[in-house]
Amino acid sequence: MKLDFVLNNKRVSINVKGGLRLIDLLREQLDLVGTKEGCGKGECGACTVLLDGKPVCSCLILASQVRNREVTTIEGLSIEGEMHPAQEAFTETGAVQCGFCSPGLLLSTVALLNENPEPSREQIRRALSGNLCRCTGYEKIFEAVELASRRINGLSVQNDKV
Amino acid sequence: MTMIRVTAYENPKSIEEATTFLAKDTYVPIAGGTDVILELRNGMPVKLLDINNLKLNHVTSNKDNIEIGAACTHTQLASNPIVSQFVPLVGIAAGKVGSKQIRNRGTIGGNIVNASPCADTIPALLIYDAELVLLSKKGRRIARLDEFITSPYATIKRNDELLHSIICKKNNKTGYSYLKLGRRQAVNISRMTISVALDIDDDNAVIDACISAGSVFPVPSRMKDLEKFLRGEKIKPKLFKEAGKLAVDLMIKHSGYRWSTPYKEPVLAGLIERALMQASKGIVQDN
Ligand SMILES: Cc1cc2nc3c(=O)[nH]c(=O)nc-3n(C[C@H](O)[C@H](O)[C@H](O)COP(=O)(O)OP(=O)(O)OC[C@H]3O[C@@H](n4cnc5c(N)ncnc54)[C@H](O)[C@@H]3O)c2cc1C
Ligand code: FES
Ligand code: FES
Repeated sequence: MKLDFVLNNKRVSINVKGGLRLIDLLREQLDLVGTKEGCGKGECGACTVLLDGKPVCSCLILASQVRNREVTTIEGLSIEGEMHPAQEAFTETGAVQCGFCSPGLLLSTVALLNENPEPSREQIRRALSGNLCRCTGYEKIFEAVELASRRINGLSVQNDKV
Repeated sequence: MTMIRVTAYENPKSIEEATTFLAKDTYVPIAGGTDVILELRNGMPVKLLDINNLKLNHVTSNKDNIEIGAACTHTQLASNPIVSQFVPLVGIAAGKVGSKQIRNRGTIGGNIVNASPCADTIPALLIYDAELVLLSKKGRRIARLDEFITSPYATIKRNDELLHSIICKKNNKTGYSYLKLGRRQAVNISRMTISVALDIDDDNAVIDACISAGSVFPVPSRMKDLEKFLRGEKIKPKLFKEAGKLAVDLMIKHSGYRWSTPYKEPVLAGLIERALMQASKGIVQDN
């Protein structure tokens, strides 16, 4: 079955089997291994990607379901080789330890900040509650999101003045 | 690599086209897929019918009713102004399903048709005497939600039928409460939910009470005996305590005494008491 969709801002046209999950399409057929599979059951969020800008679990969606839609994976976050402010903030605050949860958490963070550039601690906690991390205890992650938020807003303030 | 064996994947663009497929052959409808994909893993080969392009994601309002399209996602319902104005418990329940990722995909139609004892939106819909619009080549029929689920994970929906929409009656009350108790804050199949809508007059007496529970009975249900007990009573803390006790009796009567009963007894009594207290103060609770 032929599948057309947009992946990380590029059009993709590929043959897939009807029962192929999105995560398997990404990792096995397209070699985008930044997306991780943890539980495979929608519970850990390691497989989070953005579908039309909203976080979804790629282990719980069939490739056929993204026809004509836009998918963003961790590989699509950096812009022209520059890290996304959220990626910088995560590395700086020590929010990345083993790193298994990081791609999913970053995509949830980016979706949150796009929707709500200045989230409260509670809003951050709620938005990221579908992404489990065994290593960090979450505090450093929340700090990273807050740092990214400050930077993004700082930047847009400067841009507005120009 | 997890493979789901799919021998056909149809993507109809109209209801007519969809019901034609369903009349011809056995298809499994797929909406968000958050229940069905897990079920199909390593299962028998199936034919899938994607229902996401049938324009079933509407929320409309007329004089007496709210109509919710079966393919509305939980995310959509949690922030829909018509829902929060007229059927607030449905919006709160949808906002408490799973995690952000699950709410972005999972639909209200999938939640209902899957018919889990702990489906979060069903008890909330029961408060509004919800009815389901089922479509097939044979025509359209309406089923009451409280008669739709026959036992855990089983419904009266025929294989050739599509759930089109859910119709809720507007019932303005003076207060609401929705409480959900889960093992974890975000991601869980809920262990117990209580939905309450209360109508209280100026003398602080109960005119009407609507109460439902999820994960308490084999299928989500209204607690009619408890509602009857409250009607006409003056509000006082003792009343809500007694209501909690009565709810426990009802649970044992309808679900039997199980291994989990000693755990559930005090939890249920406490939740009922708290939910009634909040609803009596007019709070739409979002804990
Ligand atoms: C990690 C995780 C956490 C969860 N947490 C919760 C929770 O807290 N509370 C809760 O209630 N649920 C929870 N769920 C369950 C699930 O997300 C919900 O039940 C969701 O609403 C299902 O909707 P869906 O669109 O994904 O259904 P699907 O999986 O697409 O479909 C479910 C069933 O309904 C049928 N179906 C769907 N739409 C139609 C239609 N229009 N007509 C006819 N048949 C149809 C399908 O054939 C299938 O049998 C959770 C699931 C996961 C994986
Ligand atoms: S791998 Fe998808 S949620 Fe865990
Ligand atoms: S850093 Fe190891 S799971 Fe989060």
